Amino acid sequence: MAQRTALPLRDRIGSITSGTLAWIYAALLVIPFYYFIVSSFKTNEEIFESPLAWPTTFDLSNFTTAIQQADLGLAVANSALTTVAALVLTLLLALPASFALARARGRAGKIVESVFALGFLIPSFAALFPTFLLAAALGLFHTRTFVVFLLPATALPLSIVILTSFMRTIPRELEEAASMDGASSLQVLRQVYLPICVPGIATVLLLNFLSFWNAYLYPLILIGPDTAQRTIQVALPTLKVDAGTDYGVLMAGTLFTLLPVYLVYTVLQRQMQRALLSGAVKG
Amino acid sequence: MSHGISRRTLLGAALSGGIITPLLAGCGALVPASSGPNALTVHTQISGAVAGAQVFSDVVAAYQRATARRVALLKNGSDLPIVFETSTLAGKEADVAIVNMMGRTLSWTRLGATVPVNDYLDDWGLRDVIIPEALAEWTDDEGRLRAFPFTRTNWPVSFNTGLLEEAGVGAIPTTSDELIAAADALRSQGIGPVTVGGSDWSGQKMFLQILQGFITQDEARTVFSTGKISESPGAIAGVEHFVELRDAGVFVDNVQGYTSDSELTQFNTRKAAIVPAMSSALALVPNERAAEVTVGGWPKPSGGGVLEHPSVIRSFNGHGIWISENGLKKLDLIKPFVQNLYTPEVTDEFILGSGRDMSRITDTVSRDFPLVAQGSRLTDDDVTPVMLPDLLIPDAVFEPMIQATALAYGSAPADRIIDAFEKSYQAV
Repeated sequence: MAQRTALPLRDRIGSITSGTLAWIYAALLVIPFYYFIVSSFKTNEEIFESPLAWPTTFDLSNFTTAIQQADLGLAVANSALTTVAALVLTLLLALPASFALARARGRAGKIVESVFALGFLIPSFAALFPTFLLAAALGLFHTRTFVVFLLPATALPLSIVILTSFMRTIPRELEEAASMDGASSLQVLRQVYLPICVPGIATVLLLNFLSFWNAYLYPLILIGPDTAQRTIQVALPTLKVDAGTDYGVLMAGTLFTLLPVYLVYTVLQRQMQRALLSGAVKG
Repeated sequence: MSHGISRRTLLGAALSGGIITPLLAGCGALVPASSGPNALTVHTQISGAVAGAQVFSDVVAAYQRATARRVALLKNGSDLPIVFETSTLAGKEADVAIVNMMGRTLSWTRLGATVPVNDYLDDWGLRDVIIPEALAEWTDDEGRLRAFPFTRTNWPVSFNTGLLEEAGVGAIPTTSDELIAAADALRSQGIGPVTVGGSDWSGQKMFLQILQGFITQDEARTVFSTGKISESPGAIAGVEHFVELRDAGVFVDNVQGYTSDSELTQFNTRKAAIVPAMSSALALVPNERAAEVTVGGWPKPSGGGVLEHPSVIRSFNGHGIWISENGLKKLDLIKPFVQNLYTPEVTDEFILGSGRDMSRITDTVSRDFPLVAQGSRLTDDDVTPVMLPDLLIPDAVFEPMIQATALAYGSAPADRIIDAFEKSYQAV
């Protein structure tokens, strides 16, 4: 009996190897993260003398210094405002577009889908100068408004590819049944597709949240340095000086900016995993 | 099976909305400070963790309270020049920029991004309060005063005498032979000798300072503006001297990989005993460390050379107050603001409150920043000033030159260093 349940040698080696690699990978992630967190409670001397040691105190002064020196409170509010508005706009545009592309059967749908995919070919840095000119011409230079419109434009190709793929897995019978009950296209989207697509939407939200929240170059140039408008990624580098950076303060400031990322990830990760799993099964 | 939005998701969204919405709606601070028609916009590099940032913010706040005038502070670090330039292209640059004179900013006046301030110097009564050498350094070849010199910098060498004593070195080294002996003694105790940012501009400054031990200031101007080391016997001797010091182990191990930031950290954490650092960085050395530090110059060559004393880079190229094209329309607002920055009270606040060296004439010496004070007290009887070559090196050469000097901190022989140095000027 025991012999019958024992794994073959090849499988056992595979299992041990993959388990070991998984633990090594986990350690590779955990060690720097641990270093990052403990350093935010230390002085420079403590960081360099004993990098991995537990902090002697959990004094929050590094955090208050970082928040005060770089006006991080305002910067977080600005990043939240810009990111949330851009995410809402992305979904408002991507959901109907993906819905239409998923239902399309003709050649036009394929062409439009290819056009969206072309967006992947534009390097973001190359688009900076034309984008800057556009912002200046529209009178929206040094405003958050322009970036709120710009970010969804950069996110639409990926968002539409993900959502269209997801919507294509939904059986057409569901839509036909709803149509027979008198549902309009908008109702089909809202009441049939959207509830089923929640994992896909969560994936798009999470990926775009990370991208929008961490955007640096475009907000730096287009929103500018006004502390009342600048985002967190523009504010954070002011904690770094040419010589004599207080790394404890810098780590604390960075950790502070990561908290919203962690919160959003916690809320959306299960849905994203579900989306990945369903893709794997259906694929 | 339902993939409907879970309660937790809904709760999270509601909480987020509940927190963010009132935060944003009720936060008047999110209205751009620069949006008012009567606001003076000041784009400053004296911000964040930079020495003097808090003093500057306090000074501006006090000015606003006293005058009821509105000043909007726009803040950037090293990315200020590119942000200012793109803003200029859109015609939305700040009225005033407070930034140093290096790289991109060197061409601002010539290109019309900022205006010369010669006329305002007298009209606003500032000529007599600013150090004349500072005005000379900020004036370009065509006689245009690029900006009002505001802060300046010393670049002395700091010696941790506590560590030197532990290694049995009784006095700070003033010649290259003494430096090599001190480095040997320090190494024997497991202490790093000289730390410097071999991979960045701080290593470049050190390299060029050592070169100046063998060339006069006139020769230095020629060499740094043309890059022709091979045509200057003194400069060649300077490179060979650098290699001699390097090969004698004067610099800490792996110095080629260090940056300006890591050099100071090494010094502050007693990993290295000697560091060349500018005065604004010295203001950030903790008091505990400063108590065992003596400030001096870079040891002069024992054999030959042109220096009478150990050398110190002295420069008035700290932050300057630049006026933009937009600023021309608000001169009535800029004049009192700039005049306020040059009052004795504000100068004292910067010196006493942040340890900054200022370009305003003053007798005030820093008290709470002892290393800055020591650097200020060094006279020509103690050290020989040498130039900060930033103004002579073409903008396009900066980065390639840093690669060449980083090579010098490795193991390259003198001829290869000279070759790499000269090639860096081919970008011009």
